[in-house]
Parts: sequence; C-alpha cells; structure tokens
Amino acid sequence: MTLLVHFIAAAVGTVAFALIFDVPPKYYALCAVIGGGGFLLIDVLMGLGLSQTEATFIGTMFVALASRVSAVWRKCPVTVFLIAGIIPLVPGGRVYWTAYYLVMRDMSQAFENGFLAIRVAIAIVLGIVLVLEIPNRLFHWKTTGKRN
Amino acid sequence: MDEVLETAVDAGHILLESGAEIFRVEETMKRISRYFGVDEEHKEFFVLANGLFASGKTEKGRYAKVLQSRVTSARLSKVVAINQLSRQIEQGKYTLPEVRQELERIKNIPEPPKMLQILASAFGSAAFSVMFGGDFQDALVSFIAGFFLYIFVLNVAAPHMSKISGNLIGGMFVTVICLVCQWLGLGHSLSLMIIGGIISLVPGLSFTNGIRDIADGDYISGAVRLLDAIIVFVSIAVGVGIVFTVYRHIWGGAAL
Repeated sequence: MTLLVHFIAAAVGTVAFALIFDVPPKYYALCAVIGGGGFLLIDVLMGLGLSQTEATFIGTMFVALASRVSAVWRKCPVTVFLIAGIIPLVPGGRVYWTAYYLVMRDMSQAFENGFLAIRVAIAIVLGIVLVLEIPNRLFHWKTTGKRN
Repeated sequence: MDEVLETAVDAGHILLESGAEIFRVEETMKRISRYFGVDEEHKEFFVLANGLFASGKTEKGRYAKVLQSRVTSARLSKVVAINQLSRQIEQGKYTLPEVRQELERIKNIPEPPKMLQILASAFGSAAFSVMFGGDFQDALVSFIAGFFLYIFVLNVAAPHMSKISGNLIGGMFVTVICLVCQWLGLGHSLSLMIIGGIISLVPGLSFTNGIRDIADGDYISGAVRLLDAIIVFVSIAVGVGIVFTVYRHIWGGAAL
C-alpha cells in the first residue's frame, strides 16, 4: 500500500517537473512511469536492506536506461525523460537535514546527512555516466538511425 | 554559405538557451551545415555552457560569430522541436529558407501558461512531501507553500533576482509559510512540509546536464553547470537555515 502511494506520488511529482521544464505533454505518461518506477525501485531495494547510496545507484541506472529506450522508441532527445525522471532520486531531503542540523548545532548529524547527500549524488552521477556509455547501436536493434 | 552557417548557429543558439547538452548543440550545428554543403575543414564550432563561437571560410570570405547565452528556464519542447527538424533535414525534407522559417517558429513556441506552472509546482510539492513520508495534512501545507513559492519565482525571482538571492529568499519564503501553517495547527512534520515545499527550486536541469556534459568530455561546461547546481542547493539550504535561526532566537524554537 505504501509502495503504491509512493509510486503514484513520484509519478505525479515527475510529471509536475516535466511541465515546469516544458516537456511536450505527449511524453508525460512515459515520464510518469520512469520517475515513478525509479523511486519505487529504490523503495523496494532499501526495504531489502540496501543502503540509500546503493539503491540510488541502481535506481538511477534504471531511470537512465528506461530514458534511453524511450528516446529511441519515441525518436526524441533522451533529456526529455532523464531530467524529470531523475528528480525523485535527487537527495533534496538530505540537503535539508544537513541545513537543519547545522542550525541546531548538531554537528555529527549534520556531517552524516551531508556526507550521505554527497554519496547519493555521486551514485547518481555514476549511474547516469555508465548507462550513457553503452554504445548506441545496442539501442537500435530495430531501427538503424543516428544517435539520439 | 554564410547563410548556412548562420542557420546552424541559430539552431545551436536556441538549443543552448533551452537547456540542451553541449554535445547535442555541436552535433546539430554540424549536421545542418554538413547537409547544406559546408564541409568539415571549412568550419569550426565551439560551444560552452554560456556562449557559442562559430567561424568558417566561405566563397565571400570569412564568417565569424560569437553569441552569449544564458539558460533562464528549461524549454525542452524547443529541444524536441529542433531535434525533429534536424532529423528531417537529413532526410532531405527541408530547403534552407524553410529551415529558417521553421527555426523562427520554434523560437516563438510559447511557454506553458503561468497558472499551469504554478499548479505543477503545488502538486509537485505535495507529491514530494508524501514521498518523503508526509501525511495528508503535511502534503496540503506543501501544496500551499509550493503554490505561493512559484508565484514568487515566476513574478519576482526569475525576472528580477540573481540565482543566489532568488533561491535563498525562495527557501526563506517556504519555511515561513510552513511555520505559519504549523502555528495555525495545520500539518504534523514541519520538515516534511518544507522538503516538499522547496522541491520546485531544486536545480534538476543543471545537475543532470552537468553530469552529461562531463560524461561527454565537455569538462568546462559540465563543471559550470554542476557549480550552478551546487550554488542553488546551498542557497536554498541557507534560506531555510536563516529562518530557523531567527525563529530559534525569538521563540526558542520549541516547534522545531
């Protein structure tokens, strides 16, 4: 039940960002599935005992991979899906808690959250970079086209 | 030939200002000029996150152009439209004057209506509050905060303020709204309300594009965009922190 609520919330959040980034409305549905799916995956993985960093790394790979497949399928730039889809994974909450504990003068908590934010950000960077390195022709098993 | 390069530069400039990756900007400019007959050794393009340089040799002499650009807001619909155009050019569906006409049209694609953007921010804020574990009341407060935040962003911060002060005041603004709502008895977790409320300030475009530029080897542009993302993140956090600090000094911060 919580998982379903989280999936819907993440999908709504992703579409909201897609609108703010002026993504054409015909791509909203795919954005919702990608953003919601990425967040759901992280939820499930963390439930299985993975750390936030590890789960985010795998979730990012899913989002990036799904974005590339969608880009080839819908013949549009991968950016359209990637930027909105990655937002639910960005460690905004950790940045908030870092600021919160800094103000509360609880340095050990502030450091812990700050480091976690950095580690999660690096996990996102690695996830995106690795998936974007996959040669393009692997995504064109059907069509023979140019790079997206 | 001049006109070909001019067209390519135009397309590149629109892409850059709409939030495309450096790789895509360069690639599109090369594709357009290649298709209309300017070969590789007669031209050179150099694109950075905030500017674009082009030079070439044509039968009339030399061509050179430098353009500054600044991404104010993401306009991915323009990136999609130019990507489409560049594909169709390669399929031979456009003549040069038609391309120019199409670029003119793309330049003027309107933004989504302001009210829709404000509602998107509100619903987005509510959604993120729920994702971080907030209940219905927390989401409602985030909704209100996200709603008013974006009215502020569209009418005050974006047109009149620098990124630092715009995001800093945005962060303060949301925190004040959430504190007021809590004082009125609405919402349970102040932190979850604020996290949801500030989410539409999060620099997703610069963060993701910065990563992509670095992955493509465009280190300067990638570093500039990541720095942009970090500055925005820190500004928001400082904005929230300032309100907390003031609140703590005046009321002892029991509610925090």
